[in-house]
Amino acid sequence: MKSLGYVLLTALSAAGLWAIGVRFSEGLAATHLTQHVPWGLWISLYIYFIGLSAGSFLLSTLIYVFGVRRFEPVGPLALLQALGCMMIGLFLIWVDLGKPSRFFNVFFYFNASSVLAWESVLYVLYTAIILAELFLLLRPALARRARDGVRPAWLYRTLAFGTNVPDEAWIARARRRVFALGLLGIPVAIGVHGGTGAIFAVVKSRPTWHTGLFPIVFLVSALASGGALLTFLTAATSSLPQDRKIDIVKGLARFTVGILALDLLLLVSEMLVVFYGGMPAHIAGWQQILFGPFWWVFWGVQLVLGAAVPLVLVAAPRTRSSVRWLGLAGALVVIGVVGVRLNVVVPAQIPLEFAGLPDAYHHTRFAPGYFPSLNEWLVGLGTVALFVWPFLLSRKVLPLEEAV
Amino acid sequence: MDENRPGDPATAADTPVDRRTFLAAGAAAVAAVAGCGHVQPRDPSVRWGMIIDLRRCVGCKACTVACKAENHTPPGVAYNVVMEEETGEYPHVARRFLPRPCMQCAVPSCTQVCPTGATWSRPDGIVAVDYDKCIGCRYCIAACPYGARSFDFGDTYSPDLNPHERRPSPEYGEHRSREKGSSPIGNVRKCTFCLHRLAVGLSPSCAETCIGHAIHFGNFADPDGRCTVHGESLRELLATRGHMRLKEELGNEPSVYYLT
Repeated sequence: MKSLGYVLLTALSAAGLWAIGVRFSEGLAATHLTQHVPWGLWISLYIYFIGLSAGSFLLSTLIYVFGVRRFEPVGPLALLQALGCMMIGLFLIWVDLGKPSRFFNVFFYFNASSVLAWESVLYVLYTAIILAELFLLLRPALARRARDGVRPAWLYRTLAFGTNVPDEAWIARARRRVFALGLLGIPVAIGVHGGTGAIFAVVKSRPTWHTGLFPIVFLVSALASGGALLTFLTAATSSLPQDRKIDIVKGLARFTVGILALDLLLLVSEMLVVFYGGMPAHIAGWQQILFGPFWWVFWGVQLVLGAAVPLVLVAAPRTRSSVRWLGLAGALVVIGVVGVRLNVVVPAQIPLEFAGLPDAYHHTRFAPGYFPSLNEWLVGLGTVALFVWPFLLSRKVLPLEEAV
Repeated sequence: MDENRPGDPATAADTPVDRRTFLAAGAAAVAAVAGCGHVQPRDPSVRWGMIIDLRRCVGCKACTVACKAENHTPPGVAYNVVMEEETGEYPHVARRFLPRPCMQCAVPSCTQVCPTGATWSRPDGIVAVDYDKCIGCRYCIAACPYGARSFDFGDTYSPDLNPHERRPSPEYGEHRSREKGSSPIGNVRKCTFCLHRLAVGLSPSCAETCIGHAIHFGNFADPDGRCTVHGESLRELLATRGHMRLKEELGNEPSVYYLT
């Protein structure tokens, strides 16, 4: 089972590397993006991972800011997860740029009226906060390992900035700093993902995006996906004693489905208002989501797999106390939210600005509709696979369970 | 702008900078960069615009072809296209045509969302793209309500580039050759009302080409402004004919009017 997983991961990583190579030699010609659907799979995955990250980070603030001691053992894991997902998200939006080598122009020529410009700054600040928190939490354990000569010693020495084990006063200070960073991190994380929602919400040319509910929906589904991933990873990889583990996994799973229910409420509200109003441009995007060629993403992935089944698993007496079943529920929500993100990005762009555009100029880049190319799939999945390696490695070498 | 250079030794030596001053100066600098980095004041005497007479348009698409030839645009990139609509049922059928260049909005959605300010409103009202600043994020394409912007995916008409493709595009007077990996490949491109032609006193090539004299072009800011191609008074055209602008409800204030 385990070796099969590694074979799959290696294959996906290799395919991903090849596809990334092709993407950089061919440019975005390797994609099936069009002039009508300029944002596709990579942007969907980008907002998905930014959401996972923000959700995981906000969960960590439950522990470090609001003092929910119950979840303390998984705090560093939540932060590591927030960091890893952020890296995947940033990599994917970078790959998506027509001119990746110029990404720094966003900082040099910062345009203050652009949500995307502000987000770029927030992403950097946010990543710095996560790194600082992880350092403060892990330094004592890292320094202990460096002092005791645990291999690889150079790694621990570097990460802990030497072999001096911090004293109690340092640890007390670190705790206060983690609290302060977490407190600062709350508005930043809300800005990171609510703002990512705002990138879409401010676009009036795509009426399905243009609603004030959008940034809120982004945040809520981010919390759901972050909680779900933490549920799954804790269930699958944590080395905590079984009774502690089941307690934490149960708490996380309940938190996740609670948030999920709120997410569904917002979804229903938006849909009711749009369909009641009946404005063609507003309805068009939703019709794509509900009855378009990829209707099954909404009904199958998003609703059944990503919401209904996890809700049942967390509620049913036979499954609600099992680490395995709850871990599965978490995994299902994590997959379901991929559907949510795809349905955020793509269907809203399918209705044309003018019905006559595709026939005005015949070319595949002006054709209506969108389905990702093989390259887009391989780059997307391969990127995830490639980032699983450093995650597995850090899970192994970082003393996450010995944090202060 | 650059009068007080921070690194100037004469000032740096005798005025110690405390933290408050430093922060205030920093905040002011950020505000200055953020607030007016890309906004150039409008020139009240020039506002280029188009008046397209839909009754004269025969749907020949010569404007699309002229535009592609003039700007050397690759396949899959078109600045001006002609949309067609068929209404009614045989034998009572009508066919209507609607050329769609860039609207050169007075309140453009594209410049608002551009993270780098690479696309910007010129003082004469034309929305331009700085190919060297553009990172190719395509936010402007998503934001444009008129579908008027295209991304240059790098496609070519022939694998080894025909002679016409090899010639540099005169866009923005920059004469860039379209070579793999260099701008404008990977950038977002758009109609500029043929800025490079305006600069030498010519009219946009679509207006010049139109066989039905359907595309009028001129300076809307001039009360006596006349079409630079056919000589009609622009104000008279709008005053005597019914006219409209596309998606008026969005508030983008397009500079392209349609006579109906």
